[in-house]
Amino acid sequence: MRLPVAVPIALSLLAIVPVFPASAAGKDWQLQESTLTYHVSHPLHESEGVSHAARGKGVCNAGQCDFLVAAPVKSFDSGDSNRDLHMLQVTRGAEFPMITVRTKVPENAASSSSIKLDLEVQFAGHTVQYKQVPFQIVVKADQIRITGTVPATLTDFKIDPPSLLSFAVKNEIPVRLDMTWHQ
Amino acid sequence: MDDLGFSADQVKSNAKDQARLDKRSHMLKMHQRFGLITAVPLVLTLFSGGLAGEHSTSSGGRNFHAALGATTVGLYATTAYFAIAAPKFAGTPTRGPIRLHKTLAWVHGTGMIMTSVLGMMAYNQKQNGQRVHGIASAHGAVGGITAVAYGLAIASVSLKF
Repeated sequence: MRLPVAVPIALSLLAIVPVFPASAAGKDWQLQESTLTYHVSHPLHESEGVSHAARGKGVCNAGQCDFLVAAPVKSFDSGDSNRDLHMLQVTRGAEFPMITVRTKVPENAASSSSIKLDLEVQFAGHTVQYKQVPFQIVVKADQIRITGTVPATLTDFKIDPPSLLSFAVKNEIPVRLDMTWHQ
Repeated sequence: MDDLGFSADQVKSNAKDQARLDKRSHMLKMHQRFGLITAVPLVLTLFSGGLAGEHSTSSGGRNFHAALGATTVGLYATTAYFAIAAPKFAGTPTRGPIRLHKTLAWVHGTGMIMTSVLGMMAYNQKQNGQRVHGIASAHGAVGGITAVAYGLAIASVSLKF
């Protein structure tokens, strides 16, 4: 007598089960375009290096999204090939060719215009945590644009400050992130 | 990380390339250091040029100028060696101020050779009691142009234009 009741229940469960992976996949994020810019100050120079080569993804689960952004160190272009090769050397970019940034973002973060994130940055063979880094959020259709600056320093990553004419660059090397994500 | 789409070459650690980068940076640091040191006798050689034009056939001023010139050439050659022998990286096009620096190197490199040759000719003419004549009379002008090109080469990578 129970069998006819159990069958529709089982069938309805089978019908529901495939919905979850599809739904979860729909909530994942892909980095569509990005501009990462580091800034270096020297008494004789102010210079910036820009990379558009970052790739990233965000995987959402249980109300939270895990984001990973990675860029090759050698993809940063300062407009001066000599400086770029020197940057690659001091940051040990051949030995540790990637910069990665990991963070966790609440799934409903897009509802606010700013957010503070805890970042884990791997660079030059070291992993550094940056707490409560402010980011701005702009939502446009199915895209989200996130901008902010990582307050990185050379000493964070144990990088010897490069020098020119005996003057070393400043310890602060803020890295501005401008990323557009889409689902 | 694996599914971000980076190629294996992009994410692979390369200790050999890092060693070459380290060597390059060390050699270019030496190039920079010797380049600045060379500027001192170069300027002194320019200013001592006035001492070399006396009529005496054994002028101490002339010898002093020649000695400074020889010191400059020696240090200059050392400076050039560190730049020329530094490891190069294929597929890295030269861009930015370093292009002007390298272009000016051709000017002051040629100038340094010509100034030395013309200086030796002028020196011998004076030692023989002659007035400096012929192509040797361009020694001062070529030396001046060489010094200016050298100064600009230093400025091209030191100052932001």
